[in-house]
Parts: sequence; C-alpha cells; structure tokens
Amino acid sequence: MTQNTHDGAGAGISRRRLLGTAGPLSVAGLLAACTGGGQSTEESAQTRDGTLQWWDQFRPLTELFENEMFAPFMQEHSDLAIERRQLDAADLGEALQVARRSGQMPDVHSSAGLGTTPAALISQGWFQPIGDLVDVDSQPIGESIYEGVHRFGGELYSVPMFSGRLHDATPWINTQLAEQAGIDPEVSPATWEDFRSAVKQIDDATDASGIVLPQKDAQFLNGFVTWIAQTAGAPGAIDWTTGEYQFATPPFLDAIEYLKSFQDDGIMHPSSPSMGPRDARARWAAGEVGIYMWGSWIIGGLTVDEPESVERGIAAWSIPRQDSTRHKLTRGPGAGQFWVNADSAYAQEAAELLALMSGEEFQAKLAGAMDQPPALLDSVEDADVHPAYARMVEHFTEDVRIAPVPESGNPATWKVVAEMTDIHPNVGEIAQAYLSGASDSLQADLTAYYDAMNVERERAVEAIVAEGEGEDVGVEDWVFANWDRESDYTADDYGSR
Amino acid sequence: MTFVSSDLTRSARADRPRTRQSFARRLREHWWVYLFLLPTLVGYGLYTVYPLLASWVYAFMDWPGFALAGTFNGLENFVQLWNDPLFWNAFGKSLLFLVVAMPTRVVLALLLALWLNSRSTPFKGVFRTLFFLPVVTTGAIIGIVFTLLLDAQGPISLALVWAGITDTPVNFVAHPDTSLWSGVAVWVWKWLGITMIYWLAALQTVPTDVHEAAQLDGASGWQEFWRVTLPLLIPFLIIITLIDTVSALNVFDLMQTMTGGGPAFSSEVIEIFIYRTAFAATTPQLGYASAAAVLFGLLTVVLAIVQAFGIRAARGMMPGGNS
Repeated sequence: MTQNTHDGAGAGISRRRLLGTAGPLSVAGLLAACTGGGQSTEESAQTRDGTLQWWDQFRPLTELFENEMFAPFMQEHSDLAIERRQLDAADLGEALQVARRSGQMPDVHSSAGLGTTPAALISQGWFQPIGDLVDVDSQPIGESIYEGVHRFGGELYSVPMFSGRLHDATPWINTQLAEQAGIDPEVSPATWEDFRSAVKQIDDATDASGIVLPQKDAQFLNGFVTWIAQTAGAPGAIDWTTGEYQFATPPFLDAIEYLKSFQDDGIMHPSSPSMGPRDARARWAAGEVGIYMWGSWIIGGLTVDEPESVERGIAAWSIPRQDSTRHKLTRGPGAGQFWVNADSAYAQEAAELLALMSGEEFQAKLAGAMDQPPALLDSVEDADVHPAYARMVEHFTEDVRIAPVPESGNPATWKVVAEMTDIHPNVGEIAQAYLSGASDSLQADLTAYYDAMNVERERAVEAIVAEGEGEDVGVEDWVFANWDRESDYTADDYGSR
Repeated sequence: MTFVSSDLTRSARADRPRTRQSFARRLREHWWVYLFLLPTLVGYGLYTVYPLLASWVYAFMDWPGFALAGTFNGLENFVQLWNDPLFWNAFGKSLLFLVVAMPTRVVLALLLALWLNSRSTPFKGVFRTLFFLPVVTTGAIIGIVFTLLLDAQGPISLALVWAGITDTPVNFVAHPDTSLWSGVAVWVWKWLGITMIYWLAALQTVPTDVHEAAQLDGASGWQEFWRVTLPLLIPFLIIITLIDTVSALNVFDLMQTMTGGGPAFSSEVIEIFIYRTAFAATTPQLGYASAAAVLFGLLTVVLAIVQAFGIRAARGMMPGGNS
C-alpha cells in the first residue's frame, strides 16, 4: 500500500510552517539580542541598591558571620543590608561561573570550587583591589600577606582569614570506641604500623569499623594521598628544591598501598568506596567507625550538625609517619578566602569587612568556631575551643611548614597553570582504581601520570612563551633551591633563591 | 489502495491562494489562539532552541569557564575529543546504558501492562499506583537512597550473603564491574511505571472483538499475543522506544548521585563527562564540553540512521517485505 498525502506542503506559507520556522527563529534571534551572546555582562556595572551580596561555603561559620560581623556592621551602616548565601564548595564554584556570565555576581565571595589560581581570575577581571580602601599592612596579619597569593602586581586584593599551617588528614577519634578497645585516645600512634594496630584493635574490640576512607570523590583522594605520601617522606606533589613532580616516587606508591592494606585487612568500613567525605563524617558521627581522617573543620561542623558526637567524646591524633622519622608536612601560605567583585558598587564596605576579618578580635572569634585555624594562630590559645581542636592546632604547629608558591616567585607562572589541561587519571583517580580493583598496575599508572604532567607543563610553558607577550617563564620557576622542608619559606626567601 | 498524488497536488495548488488568505484571516479572527501559543513558543525557544544553537556555537570556541567569552578555535575541540580516550569511554558507557536499559524497560513495562490489563489481575489500581510512584520521585533522591541500599552494608548485599549467593558483601555502586549495571537497574525500576502507562493506553486501542475472534479460532494465549496483540501494538512500540531512548540518554541526576561516574570512570556516561569538563576541571572548558555534546549528538544520529537503513534492508530481505 502506498499513500501519498499532501497537506498543502510547498503551497506557500502554511500555519504549521510559519510557526515551525519563524517562531523559533524569531525567539532565538530575540534571545541572542537580549544576551549579546553572553558578553553583555562586560558592560554591567552594579548599582548601590542597598544590599551587599555575600557568597561563601562556610556553614559552621554562619553564626559568626551573621551575628558577630554582619549585624554590627549593618548597625554602623544603617543604609546597608548584607545578604549572605551559603553553598557547598563545589556548588559555589558552579554558581559563580554562571553568575559571572549572567552578570549576577555577588559583591564579595570566596573562591572555593573555582579550582584555578586567584591570579588567573584577576587576569580575567573578576576582582578589584582593596589596598587603597583599607590599611591591612600595618595590622598583625600584614606579615602573612604574600605577593602572588594576596597581592598581585603590587595591589592588595585579599587577606588571609585562615592559617596555611594545616593539613587535611587529622585522625579524628571516637574516644568512646577507643576506650572500649583499650586505647588511650590522648596518645597518638607514632608510625603507620602503630596506627594500623590501633585501627585493628578498635575494629576487633567493638561493633564499629576501625577506619573509614571515603573513595567516591577522586578529588578528595587526590589530596589525601598526597598528605599520606608526605608522611612517608615525599616533599609534596612537587619537590621544590628541583621543581620535579613526585607522583611516581616510592612514598606515593607506599601511601596508596598503605591505604589499601586497611581494606585488605577488613578493618575499613565496607561502604567506604561509595562514600564521599561528608557521608563518611556522618557515619563516623553515628558511631559506625572509630577513626576518620579529615580536615580541621570537622569538629566545628559536628558542633553545628551532630553535637552529640562531640559530647560523646572526640580526640585528634597527630598524623602518623611511615617510620620513626618525623617528616614535616608542607603547604603554601594561607590563601585569600574572600574577594571583592570587580563590578561591586560596595567596594569600600566590602574591603572594610575583609579588614575586620583579619583583625585580632574577629580572629579570636574565628578560633572559637573551630573551622580551619585562624591566620593569627596564637589566638587559638585564648579562645574557648574544644580540647581536641586545641590539640590539633598544636600538632599543626609542630608538623606543618609553609612551602613556597611559584606564583610568588614569578607571577607569570599562573599563566602556565591556567594553560595546563587536566591529566586523567590523576593520583586520586589512580588510587580509586587501585582500591576498587579496576587497576592493579599502580606503579605504571603513577609513572604514566608523572610523565604526562611533565610533558603538559613543558607544553604549557612553551605555549605561553610562544604567545609573545614578553612573559619570561620557564620550568625553573618551580625550583626553589634554598627550600628546607623543616622550616617555613618566608617572603624574604623568594629573593635569595 | 493507492492515492494518486498528482490530483492532490493539483488540488493543493488550486487552493494555495485561498489557504494563504484563509490563514491570514484566521490569524486576525483567532489571534488569541496564537497568543496562548506564545508562552510555549517562548519557553521552547528559551530552554530548547537557544541552548541547542548556543552549544553549537560554543563547540567551536576555546572558552575557559572563568572568561566572559571564548575565542574561535575552529575544529580544535573536535580534534582533541577524537583523541580523548575518556570521551570514547563515556560515549561507550552511554551507548551501553542505552542498548541494555531501554529494551529492558520497554519489554518489562509491556509484560507488566499485559498483566495489569488482564481481567483476572486483582488490585490493579493499587499495583498501577505502586509501579508509578518511583516516576514522580526525584531522580537525585532515588540515587542517594539506592547508594545506601546497594552498598556493602545495604540490605541487598546482606541478603545475597545471607542466601549464600556471595561470600562477602558487595558494594554494587562502587565496584567497577557493577557500577554501571546498578545505574541501569535503578533507572529501569524508576521509569518502568511511565512506560507501563504508555503500554496500558496502547492496549486499550486493541479491539476486543479481535481477541474474541482469535479465541474462537482456538488461539492459545501466546498465539493471541504474538499474532494479534503485538502486531497491533507495533506503531506504539516505535513511539515508546523513541521516548525511552531519549530518556536513556538523560541519566545525569541518577548516575551523578549514585556513582559520580566512578570508580575509575567505570560508569561515566557522556553527561557526567560533559559536566566534569564544563564545571569540575581545574580550568573548566565550556567549548570542549559543548563540542563533546555536539559530537555525541552527531554520532548518535549517525548510528540511528545506520540502524534505520539496517532495519529497512532487513525488511526488504524478508519474504513479502517491501522497502
């Protein structure tokens, strides 16, 4: 059967054809005209509408921000309201990208979730300097301000709120379970073996699992493995004395093998592979696990979300080392947390708020919130904090040293970092594959990543130099020959490297 | 029966001025109809046409997510994608998801609909409601709940151990061999109810006298289904397959909450690849992510065309078949 039906097709403009073509085209044209292809935001300067928009990811600091900082500030500035929006770090990064393109940026925001360097964002016109609006240099925090981290081209853009002297792998102990297993929760096991024995003891003596290692989030694993590798002697992801990546060295290999040993021994929570860091924290808080290694902010978060887990008993151990050698852990200086949007009409007020945050009074209150340790670390001593938090800060003071930052040595390195494309699988993804059984060629995978990162950095350097904008940058900008991991790398050291 | 096209063409040509005039008049007389259509058109343009066109434009740009605009870089994104093993991994996972999940959903829903359409089935209304409930539940919520149900301490794993099917608990969502299939199973379960409703509606169109005639001729239940019901459902099968195919390519919320594409990219479907490239990279690449979406769309269209030609050729080879 053949049917040839005709519906007036080809006979002039039918209603269907009109709606089918002109409608969508005109709508698309209208939309394109409205948005200017996403570029109209360049012309969108914000106006003083009486509201200062503030976005961040610090849920445990809600009360501190709103009651201790915003409320008194609004009392002093009666014509100003501060509207704060709190999002998870990853969501915040996405929201900022979208807001930037649609001209809806907040006046002040943290750069969490954006991933890239502040220098890259400044080059794209995200922020405006605050150095002429407030005096921060004369305050105690002035000593913690670095070129390439807070100051760019001599202009101050941000101030450190938190200390750089911290790591994200503090073992947090459920003291109730530890005591039940006959372990003194106040005494940190010194070595990996001691630590594994303690985990096994908790696992054997209680109904709970010994330890939990969230493996769903490869980005978390990426950072976590790097910390554990440092306890085995790795100077970090990069050896600053040579500028060499360290991913294929024995400490990284040993670190991942060590983490896998908990799984192989059956003393790791069996649901670890499907947990993210927050899931793991919830399971730990629920009493399913004896030990969870995460950042300093855990106790502040628990105080807000699951206070009973803090009341039950919590202790912080020093991060265990592979053997008796107490390798120092290293990390760059405390970053600028908050930045003032380039188009903000409230730059003066925003700068004043940032200056307040770096003042001694606010820093003391910040210590009390038990998030990341404050930039003025000494303020923890006088603050009303949980003993476990105070002990953790002591560990940080003893264990962590400030590392150099390539952007501080040569600001042009940010362009290389921005030019570099992500290499996959990275250390976190390699660890995830090894732990899940998807790959058993750990050394080969790490070596492939190391090789690819070297090639990519060299390519990026060549690409930036080839752009011909007069950038004098090279792989040697990642070398700080005078770096000593046992001591802080200060602003003065950059000049003598 | 054959319609002669030339007569109709002549007729249409003769009507052309009248049609145009008629439409203009109708537009004047029934302008409110078109006014009511306007919101739909604007919405469609805003949320479908514009993003579609924009993604094509962005695909030819080098656009770091932090910049306000990208720069034209020709086909570079596509060349890079062609050599990106993770793109092909995601492409493969999406196709695998499609070819397994879609037929499973269509067939299971049909069986369910036949059962619920049967006069002898009790509590039909209750069962229909129960099977439809997951459809109206948010995908992300289902993803989170099933992460707990399917992990090593979840009831499913513990039940398997208890029954002696496995020796040790299995973390279905976090094992590279099972993560994708966990997503497939949950997706089929979640959307089974809506496909079941489609089939139930389709079954109402099959005349009862045809069934009665088949029964009078002594057809068995299977023969009645295979030779009477199913042929009459073929037009619906095509539509339902199309709808479910589109649905099987939109699984971001479920897979992102269940597995996040892991472990080790074992369940990274194309949407997660695009999301990761556009938002979660150290330097987000909007142009590259758009190119991935465009290339995936194009390759899917190519596969659909090849499949259509294959079906046509197969029909042609069948006895009495026509092309």
